[in-house]
Amino acid sequence: MPSSSSDAPAFTQVDWDEVGDGVGRPGARTIGFGLALGVLAALLAYDFVINPDKTMAPLEWDVRREGWLVLVSLVVVARYGLVPLVADRDRTARYVDAFRQRRAGVLALTYLTVFAVIGLVGPGVFEFSYAKLGHRLQPPVFASVSTDIVHTYSCVGPVVDGACQGTWQYPLGTNYIGENVFKNWLSGIHVAFKVGISTAVIMATVATVVGTVAGYYGGVVDDLLMRYVDIQQTVPAIVVYIILATLFLGNMTNISDGGLFAFALVFGLLDWGGIARLVRADAMQRRTTGYVRAAKAAGASNLRVMRRHVVPNSTATIVTALTRRIPLVILAQIGLAFLELNRTRPVSLGNVLLVGVMGRHMPWHVKWWTTVPAVLFLVGMVVSFNVFGDTVRDVLDPREEAQ
Amino acid sequence: MTDSLLSVRDLRIRFGTDDGTVRAVDGIDFDVRAGETVCLVGESGSGKTVACESITRLIPTTSATVEGSIRFDGTDLTTLSESALESYRGGRIGHVFQNPQDALDPVYTVGAQVVEAIRIHRDVSKGRAREQAIDLLDRVGIGDAESRFEDYPHQFSGGMKQRVVVAMALACDPDLLIADEPTTALDVTIQRQVLDLLADLQAEREMALLFVTHDLGVVADIADRVVVMYAGAVMERGDVYDVFEAPAHPYTRALMACLPGRGEAFETIGGQFPDPTDPPDGCRFHPRCPHAIEECESGSHPDFRTMEQADGTATATPGDDADTDSATTTGDDARPHEAACVLYDDVHTIPTDVGVADD
Repeated sequence: MPSSSSDAPAFTQVDWDEVGDGVGRPGARTIGFGLALGVLAALLAYDFVINPDKTMAPLEWDVRREGWLVLVSLVVVARYGLVPLVADRDRTARYVDAFRQRRAGVLALTYLTVFAVIGLVGPGVFEFSYAKLGHRLQPPVFASVSTDIVHTYSCVGPVVDGACQGTWQYPLGTNYIGENVFKNWLSGIHVAFKVGISTAVIMATVATVVGTVAGYYGGVVDDLLMRYVDIQQTVPAIVVYIILATLFLGNMTNISDGGLFAFALVFGLLDWGGIARLVRADAMQRRTTGYVRAAKAAGASNLRVMRRHVVPNSTATIVTALTRRIPLVILAQIGLAFLELNRTRPVSLGNVLLVGVMGRHMPWHVKWWTTVPAVLFLVGMVVSFNVFGDTVRDVLDPREEAQ
Repeated sequence: MTDSLLSVRDLRIRFGTDDGTVRAVDGIDFDVRAGETVCLVGESGSGKTVACESITRLIPTTSATVEGSIRFDGTDLTTLSESALESYRGGRIGHVFQNPQDALDPVYTVGAQVVEAIRIHRDVSKGRAREQAIDLLDRVGIGDAESRFEDYPHQFSGGMKQRVVVAMALACDPDLLIADEPTTALDVTIQRQVLDLLADLQAEREMALLFVTHDLGVVADIADRVVVMYAGAVMERGDVYDVFEAPAHPYTRALMACLPGRGEAFETIGGQFPDPTDPPDGCRFHPRCPHAIEECESGSHPDFRTMEQADGTATATPGDDADTDSATTTGDDARPHEAACVLYDDVHTIPTDVGVADD
């Protein structure tokens, strides 16, 4: 939105309705946020109380616990990520300009966006099909595998010189139980997306609140909160999860090991210590800046100062810390799934890798197509998150703006 | 005593530090009456800023202990709860801080910050607040306020930022504006503009101004009354004409002697500013005072003694100026010219020449 010249008032009037809350009155954003959460709560109540077993009527979608978590997370991301960007188009345009000058950042963002979309909609696009044992260990397109390596091997595609050729029916081949690797790959990305977003939102919320309160108030509040973080960090979330999963979650009917929901809660609620520390350091620094003192001098309450001035100025720190943390959390889930400590439906990449490396019929390096796509995706994801985090830090950091 | 808008009595502020207790402010009294300009003067570390920030409890550390009474318009601010105090901050007492460079939040537009300052205290629509904000920005001299409204702080120069900060402080038409060295971080020409602006705004809004500075030139320019502070204590206070024409306390005289541009050699006050954790007994200035006598070195801070200028009998008053000086005061004894110095009693006399320590 150009802020210049003659047509400014019409624009700015609209823009102004979006900015800031009045004296005790909730702003449009708060109302919208509340409404969205309310709708979700109503749907949740409907799903659990009135119609517990069936799928949601209009969508034919059986939303399960982790599904609700993801929906809430999406609403939070929209409220605190997308709405501010859309509302302040002037500023967004500057970010976009700054972002575009950083090639690596653009590439990373593209990668993450593409796979987020794939993760979000991927499994819905393809209809479910049962694994066909007869079609096991098919090679991917443009690749081939020797047919005499396995007994009773039936090749779907043409056999040329004793080598089975891949077909488009299974673009990435199949694994030893005849599952379509491409579909498993998609569902793995779907699970990774769900793990990432729901854990990240829980983590970011807790870390931001705790870090900001500790850093802003200081003194005893800071001591208490940060000593708790110290204690929490001595016991990694993954250990807590393994203990919970093996002792309590394993034998309950229909719950298995708690799946994604338990994973997201345990990691979201116990793995935010590092981020909280960074946010705290930021808040301590902000506390003495001129604009925080000016806001206090203008009569703003502590809550308002934190919400309007301290947290928005820590955005770069929070986003960067999250981009470091999210890939680690996704990898942790995959690791647990590989160890069969976190079963998900659809399957996680951990499960895909586990099935892929099992040495049945063929050694794992011969049936490379069952594992390589997952590994490549993960490598790309970790690199992209890191590059994206660096770029975002450069672009968002308000301190850089003066230059 | 006539009704003061702000009345500070026996204000004591201590900070607990690793090196011991710092008595940043040690029992100061001063008044600000509606519509007048009072300047707090003193060198760095004399406790001016802390004293001002304690008025609306804005001291940015939790380790400060504040004692004494701070009455504003009949209410003791020290007894108010934090939330009750918030209605005074900005609403009735505006505050402008020293450094404008980080006084505006880089995340929001300049206009949004003025609007926020308005809407914290006033239940007005956003459109209305926007109009008021543009008026304010226009008033503080932001040219083309309507379009600059959407600019971000980094697009503003230091002087412009300070104007915006002034606009924010004035957003709710306060009765008292506390300006803490608002011009120190600005260059001289911009200083002049901001000072003129403050003086104009004060006259136009009949607002009281508590101005903190170490610049005596600025004091002479804008003050109605002066409070001279040194090492957390008030040394001298009185009408600006009295203090400038007849500085009574040796410290005030020393400060005046250090003013450049009077055609004489540039002078400095000898000695060291006292250790804030261990201030000297007696008069705090005595180690650096050229007129110090034995009685200065022990006991507590000296009591205030009124300078009797009207009848010309005071030992400190240099000659003929006395009559014209008293004519400029309002005539009642609400603003007496006082100095906290033991030399002004019946027994002692102080040399009338302006002298500074020479060690």
